[in-house]
Amino acid sequence: MNENEYTAVEIEKLRKKGHAAKQRRKALSYAIRVVIGICFISPLLMGVLFSFVPSDYLNDLPSMATIMQNFTLENYQKLFASIPVLRYVSNSLVLCLVIISIQIIVSCLAAYAFSMFRFPGKDLLFTLILIAMMIPGQVTTITNYLTINNAGLTNTYIGLCLPYFVGGTAIFMFRQFFLQLPRELKEASVIDGCSDMKFLFKVGLPMAVPTIASLAIYIFIDIYNMYFWPMLVATDQKMYTVQIGMSMLVSSNATEYGKVLAGAVISIIIPLVAFVIGQSYLIKGMTAGAVKG
Amino acid sequence: MKPKKKKVNYIVYLLVLPAMIFLSAFTFYPFLKAIYLSFFATNNMGQPGKFVGFQYYSKIFASPEFRDTIATTFTFALLVGVGTFCLAMFFAFLSLKNEKGAKAYQTMFALPMALSSVPISAIALYILGRNGLLNELLGTENAWLSSADTALYAVAAVTIWAGVGSSYIFLLVGFRNVDESLVESSIIDGAGYVRRFFKIYVPIASPQIFFVVFLTILHSFKSFAIIKLLTGGENGTNVLVYALYNDAFKRGRFSYACIYALVLSLLIFLVTRLQFIFEKRAVHYQ
Repeated sequence: MNENEYTAVEIEKLRKKGHAAKQRRKALSYAIRVVIGICFISPLLMGVLFSFVPSDYLNDLPSMATIMQNFTLENYQKLFASIPVLRYVSNSLVLCLVIISIQIIVSCLAAYAFSMFRFPGKDLLFTLILIAMMIPGQVTTITNYLTINNAGLTNTYIGLCLPYFVGGTAIFMFRQFFLQLPRELKEASVIDGCSDMKFLFKVGLPMAVPTIASLAIYIFIDIYNMYFWPMLVATDQKMYTVQIGMSMLVSSNATEYGKVLAGAVISIIIPLVAFVIGQSYLIKGMTAGAVKG
Repeated sequence: MKPKKKKVNYIVYLLVLPAMIFLSAFTFYPFLKAIYLSFFATNNMGQPGKFVGFQYYSKIFASPEFRDTIATTFTFALLVGVGTFCLAMFFAFLSLKNEKGAKAYQTMFALPMALSSVPISAIALYILGRNGLLNELLGTENAWLSSADTALYAVAAVTIWAGVGSSYIFLLVGFRNVDESLVESSIIDGAGYVRRFFKIYVPIASPQIFFVVFLTILHSFKSFAIIKLLTGGENGTNVLVYALYNDAFKRGRFSYACIYALVLSLLIFLVTRLQFIFEKRAVHYQ
């Protein structure tokens, strides 16, 4: 019995040793991954760090000591003094808000019709949507610009928003959501005297909240970061979105790196926070319906 | 299954109506208008004047500038495609384990996809400029963005950095489809990490891998903002989208721009068809 105890202790010791080695290996492999990650985003980290250093020091690579000694908010003060940053941010947010709400409503209604009903012309209409999804925005940008310009809608919110009121991704995500709802749910509601529209608002939409959240984040990052369209439509400084305002800074203030980097940081903050918080929703939105399997 | 099949609830047309109106006005109409305008001489406001038929088409297709643009577009797509794919695979390779804290590095690998091209370009300009950080680090004095030898590669590198996140996420989703028990049995069989990656994860995630390849190519065809901000289409970086922007808004030649746009959509259509054909043949869905 004594001998047995001895072996048990010995085994326990050995097990612990092996476990410790395994733990160490695990920690090391984890550390390597994190370091690779940090290296990968180092340009961003550097941009953020250098935005707190006066431009004079940025023509050469500043040492850590220089950065620490000259740490300043000067670039941001200059930035806010020279351009209406908050106005740009609020323009971008208005744009996002309007597009997100309308795109979600329009796409949800269409997807509801395509997934829960049979009606003459359904296949034709759905094919049209598929075709529309294949026409890239870059192709229609010029002629859309002509339309908006002829209608006198440049430098208006409505002109900035109009082409984005319907989205293929949104239709597909909602369609997928409705298709995976159990059929019995709809049938039971019909028996209970629930009309089609009532079903959508009372049963469908409350269940679609995760889908809506995914879409909202997906559309938000997309629209907030949009460049080509607002560059054409917003030519008046008052109507600039964040990205357009900052891009003007990039092309005009090439020597004042500090201010440019401060502008870059400002334009990054909101989508970055949205990304980090809503990552799992965003991933769901991106990958839904894109690949089978 | 549906006894009341004949009774169509006409409210469904109302549901579809808004979507169809917006699609017609801002996708179909501008597309058809681009075709229409390509046959006319336009003024610099984009209004059609004299009918010229295929005259502009033959002019453009015969010009060396067009051939350059197409060559640049394809080279750029190849660079971005290969680069993004390799980097995304590498990151996905590092992310096989669903370990505690994995979210930290996964977030970092995917992070640039949340950033707009504008701040990315601002930082890239600082790094790649003549007095920039890269030259400082390498001890060189290359003008990465204003030399025809390096500009396209530099722009491609920035585009890869900016876009690798979404490819990575698609791969990650594919790898998550791999059954835990399959992995465990392979560990018992003595398969190492690398072997497991290529023999188990890659085959099972083949639909996603395949999808990512095409996604990146299509994405690179549409690149615009980074090119505009970094090089302004100069130094051998004049891809199709930049060319169409340049013709329409810098030179006021809307018909030319429309033809470029149509070539771009043809390209994208062909690649999508190719994707569809390959998808049916090559990828085995479970």
